[in-house]
Amino acid sequence: MDKFDVVVVGGGHAGVEAAYAVYRSGLSCALVTFEKSKIGQMSCNPAIGGLGKSHIVREIDAMGGIMPIATDMSGIQYRTLNTRKGDAVQALRVQCDRDLYKKAIQKILNSTSINIFEEEVEDLIVEQKSVKGVLTKNKKIYGKKTILTTGTFLNGLMYIGSEVSSGGRVGDDSAIPLSKKLYDLKLPMGRLKTGTPARVKMSTLDLSVMEEQPGETPTPFMSLAGEVKQHQDQLSCFITRTNKTTHQIISDNTHLSAMYSGNISGIGPRYCPSIEDKVFKFGHKESHQIFIEPEGIGVDLVYPNGISTSLPKKVQEDFIHTIKGMEQCEITEFGYAVEYDFVDPRTNKKTLETKYFNDFYLAGQINGTTGYEEAAAQGLVAGLNAAQAIQKKPDFILQREEAYIGVLIDDLTTHGITEPYRMFTSRAEHRLLLSQNNAEQRLLSKAFKLGIIPEERNTTFVNKEKQYAEFVKTRLDKTKILSFINKEQQTVSLDEKRSISSILARPDVDENNLIELNKEEEIFFKRASTEIKYKGYIEKQTREINKNKKQNNKKIPPSINYKKISGLSNEVVEKLTKSQPETIGSASQIEGVTPAAINLILISIKKQELEKLNA
Amino acid sequence: MSVVFALATPPAKSAICIFRVTGRGCLSKIPELAGSPLEKNKKFYLRTIKNKSGDIVDRVGIISFKGPDSYTGEDSFEVYAHGGLGVMAMLVDVFKSLGFDEAPPGEFTKRAFLNNKISLAEAEAVVDLIDSHDQGGVVLSSNTLSGDFTEKVLGFSDTINNLRVRVEGEIDFSDEGESFFDSSLPNELSLLVENFKLFVGGCLNKKNHSAKNKVMFVGPVNSGKSSVFNRLLGFERALVSEKPGTTRDLVESEIFYNEASFSISDTAGLRETDDVVESKGMQFALEQLNSVDLVVGVFDSDEGSILDRFAELSNEKKYLKVYNKTDLGHVVREGVFDCMVSAKTGEGFDGLKKLISNAFKSDISGDYMYLVRDRHIGLFQSSINHLENALLKLSEDAGLELIAEDLKLARSDLNEIMGVKMSDSLLGDIFSSFCIGK
Repeated sequence: MDKFDVVVVGGGHAGVEAAYAVYRSGLSCALVTFEKSKIGQMSCNPAIGGLGKSHIVREIDAMGGIMPIATDMSGIQYRTLNTRKGDAVQALRVQCDRDLYKKAIQKILNSTSINIFEEEVEDLIVEQKSVKGVLTKNKKIYGKKTILTTGTFLNGLMYIGSEVSSGGRVGDDSAIPLSKKLYDLKLPMGRLKTGTPARVKMSTLDLSVMEEQPGETPTPFMSLAGEVKQHQDQLSCFITRTNKTTHQIISDNTHLSAMYSGNISGIGPRYCPSIEDKVFKFGHKESHQIFIEPEGIGVDLVYPNGISTSLPKKVQEDFIHTIKGMEQCEITEFGYAVEYDFVDPRTNKKTLETKYFNDFYLAGQINGTTGYEEAAAQGLVAGLNAAQAIQKKPDFILQREEAYIGVLIDDLTTHGITEPYRMFTSRAEHRLLLSQNNAEQRLLSKAFKLGIIPEERNTTFVNKEKQYAEFVKTRLDKTKILSFINKEQQTVSLDEKRSISSILARPDVDENNLIELNKEEEIFFKRASTEIKYKGYIEKQTREINKNKKQNNKKIPPSINYKKISGLSNEVVEKLTKSQPETIGSASQIEGVTPAAINLILISIKKQELEKLNA
Repeated sequence: MSVVFALATPPAKSAICIFRVTGRGCLSKIPELAGSPLEKNKKFYLRTIKNKSGDIVDRVGIISFKGPDSYTGEDSFEVYAHGGLGVMAMLVDVFKSLGFDEAPPGEFTKRAFLNNKISLAEAEAVVDLIDSHDQGGVVLSSNTLSGDFTEKVLGFSDTINNLRVRVEGEIDFSDEGESFFDSSLPNELSLLVENFKLFVGGCLNKKNHSAKNKVMFVGPVNSGKSSVFNRLLGFERALVSEKPGTTRDLVESEIFYNEASFSISDTAGLRETDDVVESKGMQFALEQLNSVDLVVGVFDSDEGSILDRFAELSNEKKYLKVYNKTDLGHVVREGVFDCMVSAKTGEGFDGLKKLISNAFKSDISGDYMYLVRDRHIGLFQSSINHLENALLKLSEDAGLELIAEDLKLARSDLNEIMGVKMSDSLLGDIFSSFCIGK
């Protein structure tokens, strides 16, 4: 009989991050997966990061996670998006070598004490409302905590035209018995769908007619932990577009698409529509962009991002061959739609432990999210909380104003989902506080206190912060000048000497011409410039956050019966009952819940407390 | 919980007014408010309150109640100031400048309950209070109730949202090959600011508006004007006696009815007199007649000549004829009076209030005329400031994330005015307007 502190089911991005967090917490961990060699597999496009997502990855990085390091071990093209906009909304996107990424993950895991089992989990061991481990064909694996990260494998069905097959990813089975088990446990389940494009041989493309998009130089790093010193060879991406002929073929055959056949009940993501959807819903657009992503170094395969589809194979072939530069291309694998089960994430507490079963955590796509980054973040949160609970330490919960991870977990557990959930920067109301570049300042000390990052890294960080403070003091606050150069390259004279900091606050200053900087100081200077520009906004946000902090943190007892609170509208009662928010702060986030409703809830909680006291 | 304040006495002109302030940390603000701390708890101190620019607002009495020994159970203090409307308005500004918020209805009682200061039964009453419809609170006159106002504010809110959708689209989906906005955006934004300002300019502040609702009582000597006046106010204000000619000065006060306020003045009765003081009073009253909006004649008989004389006096002003003393049972000609009341029994006063308030209804119609509260004017102003800031940042080519932030704040001010959290379907709006997704 195998016994562990934590059993993680699933070897995707959530599972890997969960297991690695448990390991770093100093506990024993089992990772159970269908196939060892597929651990860390990127099942969709081979890229990590982008808007809202690189923010998450940097947060994982600040807490010593595995994803950012594997990204740098396999990154083949780096680009910072939104460079013309401010720091808070800039994002790094990294194209990875699909195979190298997986190997990087496996290499890191192999250097740990995590026990990997190549088994299919068929059942959960449930005793009195508590999950005690898992059952595979051959084994019972016991854990004090069990984390389920089954991705799209729960009852997964793949569709190409009218063909339907079982599986969560091409070439892999789906997890049907486990899915049945979850239905048996009466967890609230739903169905979602997503899609992928066909994969194409790179050697059969005419890249010369496409727009080349090289990576940026110097090549940045996703991880600031400093573990990866050397990048892989860098490659370019390419851009091509669909045209009228493409659209004609697609609209002539839309009825053959699995997604339009009526066979799929799952809800797809609006931000990731199939090409059928794009042509149908945006008929006035003459062309859609396709982003050609290389699959890896020396790999004769590309991922044509932007034409995900579930049309029959013949139609896929026809429309792809109308695209500039793809006329002669050879398709190695056809696009398909995949439909899978998810569990309503409102089932979970903010620790990602389910409310219905103790010691049972859900993380990743099973909670209705999409994206490697969102999955990894949940894995980290579930893993850390499982470890914390075993060690009888407090829950690890990030607030919305502290991290995108906080926004993610709060959105999922409070609002649930209506489509596969993806992070966007606009989901974070405190976006200006949450830059991908200040993740360490927000989270590293917390991670150090949890004991999940090495002391050396913390020391480096603390020293850097000291240097930064010193830089601001001596170079910006105390250095005063009489004139500066503005954006029009004219010299502006001041009536009296002013500090560099105060000049940085002016909108007309040309920052590049303000002071001499060495390479390290450049980073400090950029940070200071942002902090000065955001200052007014951030002060306002901070005031708002502190104003209701105490009230927002007030816990709502799970026994609360919203129906019995007089004065709440039926709509609000229904929403609150579904969501079961854990705190007043979460409740107030729910649409339609007014300040008056919050007051009623507060009063009702108090009433309950008093009644208990008097009973 | 945050520090809140509320006027504990009626918002009417009176000898004193009392403000209550409660919330953690409020006592530490007293030095800033009143120049120096209060040495002892629960002891009355005399202090001078100045505003931010250092002008004296009022000389007031202050008493502090350290929590939990206070009504709310939190640190609290009370300010006893002179009861002028101007003083009240200035004190509100001073409190706000210290970061205190105006308490929503039922807030003090709610806090008292949450801090175990009052019983469950009392708390149930609070539920009713909070549950009352005052939270939306935009409406002061039936004109604003008509939904027109709401529609206009929602319209502005939508326009702001549409602009924000484009800005947010450009931020979150910049690598999608879609173009979210072009040079038209700054123009649309500045058009919005213009229209919005025009609208806000057409919103009448209650404080300003009350000056317009001037009502003056006139009538023959001893017809009971002061009694009617007092009955209307709900308390003894004008000196009343059996002796004719008791009211010698203009006595002015404010009443609130149907959430609109009226400035009402009582005058000395008009008669030939040798009394110097009284005749001065009458002369003054006659001069004042020019600046009032509604004249209410109070009579105790239907004698034609007297009625005619006062009808002349009222000139071209709106004029209401009220018969007082119905309790005496005299028979009066039908159709002569607009309203029959008895100041003694209170009979007919609901009708009189209605007539007075209706007399002003037509004044606040018109295309852009809405009566709003102080709080709303403040929020409108804040919303405009955010929009102007967005426009400025756009012209400076500052980061789009700051422009998005200002648009968000501008909209949330409008949400607060409407008292509801409008659904924020920002992402949905982006997806339905633009083709997103690689």
